Amino acid sequence: MSDVLLEVDTIHTFIGQFHILEGVSLKVRTGSITALLGRNGAGKTTTLRSIMGLNPPRSGSIRLAGEPINGRPAYNIAQLGVGYVPEHRAVFRDLTVEENLRLAERKRGDLARRSDFIMSLFPDLKRFYRHPGGKLSGGQQQMLAIARALVADNRLLLIDEPSEGLAPIIVEQIVSALRQMSAETTILLVEQNFAMAAQLADEYYILDDGRSVQHGRMADLVHDHATIDKYLGAG
Amino acid sequence: MIEWIQRRRGLIAGIVAAILFAIWASSQYEPRVLASILLSGLTLGALYFLVTSGLSLIFGLMDVLNFAHGTIFMIGAYIGFTLYANPRLLLNMLPFVLAFVAGWLLARWLPFSSLPTGHRRPLWVVAVLVGVFAVWGFELAPLATTALSSGGRVPTEQAQAPIGIFIARTVGLAIAGLIAGAAFIIGNEHTRQPAPRDLVLSSGLLALAIIIAPLRLNAEGWILALDSNARFLLALVAGASGGAALGGLMEWSLIRPLYSRPIYQVLVTLGLVFVGTELVKGIWGPGGYFMELPAWFSRRGPSCPSPNLIAWLQDNCASIDVLGRPFPSYRIFIIALGIAMFIGIAVLLRYTRLGMIIRAGVQDSEMVQALGINVRRVFTLVFALGAGLAALGGVAAAPFLGISPGLGQEFQLQAFIAVVIGGMGSFTGAAIGALLVGLARAFGDQIVLTGIQLPWMSEAMTFSPSIARASTVLIMALVLLLRPAGLFGKKE
Repeated sequence: MSDVLLEVDTIHTFIGQFHILEGVSLKVRTGSITALLGRNGAGKTTTLRSIMGLNPPRSGSIRLAGEPINGRPAYNIAQLGVGYVPEHRAVFRDLTVEENLRLAERKRGDLARRSDFIMSLFPDLKRFYRHPGGKLSGGQQQMLAIARALVADNRLLLIDEPSEGLAPIIVEQIVSALRQMSAETTILLVEQNFAMAAQLADEYYILDDGRSVQHGRMADLVHDHATIDKYLGAG
Repeated sequence: MIEWIQRRRGLIAGIVAAILFAIWASSQYEPRVLASILLSGLTLGALYFLVTSGLSLIFGLMDVLNFAHGTIFMIGAYIGFTLYANPRLLLNMLPFVLAFVAGWLLARWLPFSSLPTGHRRPLWVVAVLVGVFAVWGFELAPLATTALSSGGRVPTEQAQAPIGIFIARTVGLAIAGLIAGAAFIIGNEHTRQPAPRDLVLSSGLLALAIIIAPLRLNAEGWILALDSNARFLLALVAGASGGAALGGLMEWSLIRPLYSRPIYQVLVTLGLVFVGTELVKGIWGPGGYFMELPAWFSRRGPSCPSPNLIAWLQDNCASIDVLGRPFPSYRIFIIALGIAMFIGIAVLLRYTRLGMIIRAGVQDSEMVQALGINVRRVFTLVFALGAGLAALGGVAAAPFLGISPGLGQEFQLQAFIAVVIGGMGSFTGAAIGALLVGLARAFGDQIVLTGIQLPWMSEAMTFSPSIARASTVLIMALVLLLRPAGLFGKKE
């Protein structure tokens, strides 16, 4: 299980005229949880959006299981088996929980097939199945956003800040759900909450100022206080 | 409680205003006058709705302000009317369009995408040259005017090219389409695999074009021999589908490249208003036409007006008795058409996957895309749907407003006002806004006609005809003061 599912090679991404990513490279191994760390504005979200095709990189390459995917439209990348959970839990407020999930179907019967697994991870969604997404609490919306990425057969999940603004008890639920999900899929996780990332991830990459500066095994980073202070500490 | 009132102050103010207005109106007018004002308002509201619904869906989903929506309304009226009264023009143009599309689709099936990108520009030039050569000398204007201006039948052969030349032109356009299609797919090889479906569709269209070519001489007679009701239904379908095709083409060719430049989009749609108007003048002439009512709505006789709707189903009178005053039955049909379309779109939005995608896309089209849905294709589809609705409205309006190149502009302006009142991007808002604007126009017209009698005045207050038009702007200003996003709007 050590083959590389996603390989990002020195991508440069611009948003408008701003050069946001100035050479980000990373590899995500099949079956692993890889954490993307760094301060606010380091380029973590833009990296996920570049992979997803929402902010296509101007140069560099992105390969999914060896096949180049940069330059393809986002819907095409999604169809190749990439699920995206954006920050701020972008659930569709006017659609019910059920409709939010159904929209993520790529084949007929996806939801029926995956429903039991999803509901076992997030029982709340079952309770509010016919409620509009906008009426859910923040934590429930986050669960819905993650659940949406589980409906279709995705090989890779890009998850952006799942713990942002949530109460510790909800964060715990999400951690345990992500752990169960990682048994069958590969996850690239952006997380500000270092404690949470440390619990989950096998490997890490640190971004600073739009560049990937360091990577390694999460177990090693936990003891490397110098690196943590340098790149992740407040200020 | 107080908070609740504050949050809904717009709604409450609206209801209070509506009740006060209803009390005033019922004291001012006799019930039968009031009923016919209301029905007139509903008629206009239904027509406005056909324009506003598309306008609002397009804005909600794509953030495009389509100034050319009224132009499509007008073109829809022309297409429907032409099929109704002079199918010769359409029958002579249809094979060309079909052949071009068939050629284009065929190119997608053939392995052109592997050609070097350098061939792209020369191929476009060749395609244009072949296309121009194919239609060189083809005269449209005589086809458009003969039957109409002569007031009756024109010899079938008149103004129609002999079959040999016509087929040659058709094939020429198929080749032009093929070359243009090839130029288009060079360089985007990974977007699409050659599908056998394209081949089937393409040969089908080409066959249809070739079949129509010799038949067009007789088909005109067949269509004109149909009874007026069938022709009217055909006209509705032709106008709506023609408008939808134009709208889809417009989104795909002119709007799509400009999603990152919204100002340019506005300018392009504004420019299309002029292009569309002048094209129509070029083909059909600058004057107006009058479309006859189909038999269902035009019978006059001793038993008319029909005493009620049920009786009308049998006697097809031109008007129906409403509380002792005759009201044109065709306008009742327009109201019914508006209601049917409202229900149809509501069902589409609520219960279908497409509707789900639209509702989700109004909020966040990027996230819809990230779920693996080709949002661009949905954009084109919704643009076509909106344009089709507007064009349907145009055909429906033709028999009672008449057809002229300026028909769209008045509707465009009033429809924008209605959409702003209802709230940009909200479907319910578009319906309510259209209804309000329609009613305001109808009451405005009545006030212009009879003035307003206030109890403390000896004679009625009179108003200039502008009051009907000004009233809708006044309502808009009031609504925006209370709810800056419109009645049902979420977007600013």
